[in-house]
Amino acid sequence: MAPSTPSSHRPRKKRKVPTAPGSNNNLILDISNGQQTPAFPLVSFLWAARAGVSQWLILPLTLMVVGLFRWAVSLWGYSGFQVPPMHGDFEAQRHWMEITTHLPMAKWYLYDLQYWGLDYPPLTAYHSWLLGKIGSIVEPAWFALDSSRGLEEPHLKVFMRATVVVSEYLVYVPAIVNFLRRYTRMHGVHAWSTSIALVAILLQPATILIDHGHFQYNTVMLGLMVASLDAILAGRMLWACVFFVGALGFKQMALYYAPVMFAYLLGVCVFPRCRIGRLINIALITLAAFALLFAPLVVGATNPEARKLFASSPQPPLLQASPVSLDKDTVAYAIIFQITQTIHRVLPFSRGIFEDKVANAWCAIHTFYKLHRFDVSLLQRASLGATLASIVVPCGIIFRHPRASLLLPALSSVAWGFFLFSFQVHEKSVLLPLLPMTLLLAGDGGLSKENRAWVGWANVLGSWTMYPLLKRDELRVPYFVMTLLWAYLMGLPPVCLETYRSRASSEDTNNQLEPNILTKLIHFAFYFAMIVWHVLDAFVVPPPDKPDLWVVLNALIGFGGFGLAYLWCMWKLITQCRQIDLRVAEEDSRKKKQ
Amino acid sequence: MAELYPLLAQCAIVAAAFKVLLFPAYKSTDFEVHRNWLAITHSLPVKEWYYEKTSEWTLDYPPFFAAFEWLMSQAATHVDPAMLVVKNLHYDSWETVYFQRATVILTELILVFALSRFVKSASPWNKQAAHVASLSILLSPGLFIIDHIHFQYNGFMYGVLILSIVLARKQSTMLLSGILFAALLCFKHIYLYLALAYFVYLGRAYCLDPKNVLRPRFGNILKLGVSVIGVFGVSFGPFVQWGQLFQLKDRLFPFSRGLCHAYWAPNIWAMYSFTDRALIPLAPRLGLSVNTDALNSVTRGLVGDTSFAILPEITSGQTFILTFVFQLIPLMKLWLRPDWDTFLGALTLCGYASFLFGWHVHEKAVLLIIIPFSLIALKDRRYFSAFRPLAVAGHVSLFPLLFTAAEFPLKTVYTVFWLILFLFVFDRVAPVPERPRIFVFDRLALLYLTFAIPLIVYCSLVHQLIFGFERLQFLPLMFMSSYCALGVVGSWIGFMVVYFTA
Repeated sequence: MAPSTPSSHRPRKKRKVPTAPGSNNNLILDISNGQQTPAFPLVSFLWAARAGVSQWLILPLTLMVVGLFRWAVSLWGYSGFQVPPMHGDFEAQRHWMEITTHLPMAKWYLYDLQYWGLDYPPLTAYHSWLLGKIGSIVEPAWFALDSSRGLEEPHLKVFMRATVVVSEYLVYVPAIVNFLRRYTRMHGVHAWSTSIALVAILLQPATILIDHGHFQYNTVMLGLMVASLDAILAGRMLWACVFFVGALGFKQMALYYAPVMFAYLLGVCVFPRCRIGRLINIALITLAAFALLFAPLVVGATNPEARKLFASSPQPPLLQASPVSLDKDTVAYAIIFQITQTIHRVLPFSRGIFEDKVANAWCAIHTFYKLHRFDVSLLQRASLGATLASIVVPCGIIFRHPRASLLLPALSSVAWGFFLFSFQVHEKSVLLPLLPMTLLLAGDGGLSKENRAWVGWANVLGSWTMYPLLKRDELRVPYFVMTLLWAYLMGLPPVCLETYRSRASSEDTNNQLEPNILTKLIHFAFYFAMIVWHVLDAFVVPPPDKPDLWVVLNALIGFGGFGLAYLWCMWKLITQCRQIDLRVAEEDSRKKKQ
Repeated sequence: MAELYPLLAQCAIVAAAFKVLLFPAYKSTDFEVHRNWLAITHSLPVKEWYYEKTSEWTLDYPPFFAAFEWLMSQAATHVDPAMLVVKNLHYDSWETVYFQRATVILTELILVFALSRFVKSASPWNKQAAHVASLSILLSPGLFIIDHIHFQYNGFMYGVLILSIVLARKQSTMLLSGILFAALLCFKHIYLYLALAYFVYLGRAYCLDPKNVLRPRFGNILKLGVSVIGVFGVSFGPFVQWGQLFQLKDRLFPFSRGLCHAYWAPNIWAMYSFTDRALIPLAPRLGLSVNTDALNSVTRGLVGDTSFAILPEITSGQTFILTFVFQLIPLMKLWLRPDWDTFLGALTLCGYASFLFGWHVHEKAVLLIIIPFSLIALKDRRYFSAFRPLAVAGHVSLFPLLFTAAEFPLKTVYTVFWLILFLFVFDRVAPVPERPRIFVFDRLALLYLTFAIPLIVYCSLVHQLIFGFERLQFLPLMFMSSYCALGVVGSWIGFMVVYFTA
């Protein structure tokens, strides 16, 4: 199976036994006298599935187990529980269900903005509307207009938690399963190895803790993103555009992925030869998807009441800046008002450069050199410049070499760039770079020690930087359990040192697949720092003039680690790109000789 | 011999992680029961343990369990002393919850140890089956629902039971096995249900000459007798000394309770009640006399006395005789063939008899059948096909224990996961029997299994949608328990056949 020609309508075939070196991911270790042992605990849980167990059995069982862990985490606290008057993300999501089901669309982005005004893109609004309708059938009081604010009923919690699980199982899980199937087939990776990678990806602690603990619907956005990647692998570029617009339309954070998607889609139209027709198709379908996304809102803006409302409301900044002035009673004004108001609500330029303490460059600089003294617009420009500088290399590579197999490292390095340097970053945004990075586990050599060490380390570090947030939500126990469990299953510190130990495996040991001494030192230093930090946080009271000392320390260490993760992804991207180039050159020269 | 993966310890680690996540889950009154016992044993002198009645949940387990609570209370003082105050009824600070839930997980290590001994004791060609069986016990949805959500300490006590069963395998450790079982009885007297099998097996295989029934081995009799009496002496002796024996008896054996427990355990009496209910509308046509008291009784079929409207009342004496008779039948074979496999079979059948015919049986007692049965279910496919309906019915019958919305997905998904995984793996591992299987029985079992899914869906969702939460509440419970009773009885009959033809 040539990696360059993944076609969507392939007849069912038996998967080829992998022959490429490393494609078995060194899952089986050979200890003395021919005895075989699993390389890390997760392998041993799927040990019995090594040979010829149907996916019809393994897949449902896997999904049940990861579902159980999700539901068990959801028994714990959520963001803003018993914290009046504003509560937290749980209340925000519930509030959106309340306003979308009770108010006309024209009011969605205008209603009482001080109390969790809707500030996510339209798809989230439609999703909230659907969930609100379903929830109102079960119990209307949960979503009664205004009177339901701050409601904290146990059954409401169960309902809301169930909506997260169901949304995830309808979007994220099928997307990941399909993507992995296609991606591993492309890399010639064994089905068994795929099952192992699937469990590892679905048990990723940070995602579970934020969505099912803290309470958000990130997996819907991430799932649409993965679906878009899957469509790219299948060669369906137009579907990829639609799914990606869906992801953007669900949560604006998907912008982190946008430069790579743009560069890639542009790249496939230009290299190896210019294809104008394809470019036009992609542009049109993207526009159409955006139009479809806004269509209900626009239709909702055209009725007379909506027009009256918009005419009397203050203009959004984008509309003020526009050179053309329109008559306030026209339909055109209402439509433009609706769209600009939505965009104004969704894009966070009116806020500060970072929120809370987050492990990115600005917060790190701010610790030593206060950034308040600068004008917000200057900071905006600085962050824009820094972000662009950090993403230009990966975007350039993916534009020049638009290969599907380079997408994951490119996406993760660009998302890391955004996380580190862009404006208004949340600590939860770390899920975005973590997703493509974790998906690397499924690739050729993805479960090898070296890859596992880096991906695992980034994931542990990622959930560690969210600890201050999770602590506020009373999610300490789930944090420790899920993170340590994942580290244990993957054979990582602090639970297990196996990944960093050199041992002969059953296959020819490939030195590239073992973490080198520098990697080991860096990782151990970080794991050690994380443990020490937890001890400090638990037992040492910070000095009274610096009450946030530990949180700042957490952000600083996190920044260092994420910077390294960014560099690693970049390095991965460059080496993979060069390998492919070399292979192509080799094949070309062979052809010429023949 | 290669290691078998996943290792018991690995499964125990992942299971423990999952169980820790369940700390905030629903907990029944049994949580308060055990907290109260911690308080009683910690703050009162031993003499008053069985007299204290501030809480309605008085100490009604034998002395070793009380001592076990006392031991844990020593650690509890460092966690939250307030939980050890007898008057602090329904105290459940998060420290208390974490502490009590953690003790359940930690004491379950005994089960892990016992299972590892069980695997070690199996012969090399049976190792894989033994390994699979012990994983199935370790991850049992029964223990999961009862211990880690509902709250009890069965895991550790079944660990002791399995350890004792394993020790009974070899002549050299039989004495130890007897002692352990005696100690187990002093932890929880529900294991009396299995005592006859132990009595017959140890009596025949340990106390009498294997070749000649008429030649007792006096040394062994002396050793076993002295040590068993010693165990009981240590646990009950002090209370006999203080003249509290009758108080203990009243506390341990509350015969004033009704025939059926609040949720009907899926046994013969559940079917009996179901038949009674079904006959009520038919009674006038058939010309049967109806007991109107029973018809109007609010609690009928629930707590306290059960009154049957049409069928004759059942007395505790009758249930006792029935239980005894049905235990005696398999024990006769054990007497004639006192080997370990037959012992396990007899143990299982004793569990069946007492569960099916006993007085005031809890649905939780179904573990008394499932767990010993799991140890031999993989002997061959005939055993396995008798085990299958039991595994489904026994675990599904535990569902009513958890009735809160948040735990609904946990119990169903976990149980379905376990059933799919282990019924599939068992099916692969179980060897082909020497004798042919009974074809019809297999088909009936399959029909039975397929019926489970619509029934669960009806009872947990459809019924509420049609009738709401208030009306005809008993109906799903009754359907469930009758369905499960059918499964348990069916598997009992099937296993009887296998046992006597083996």
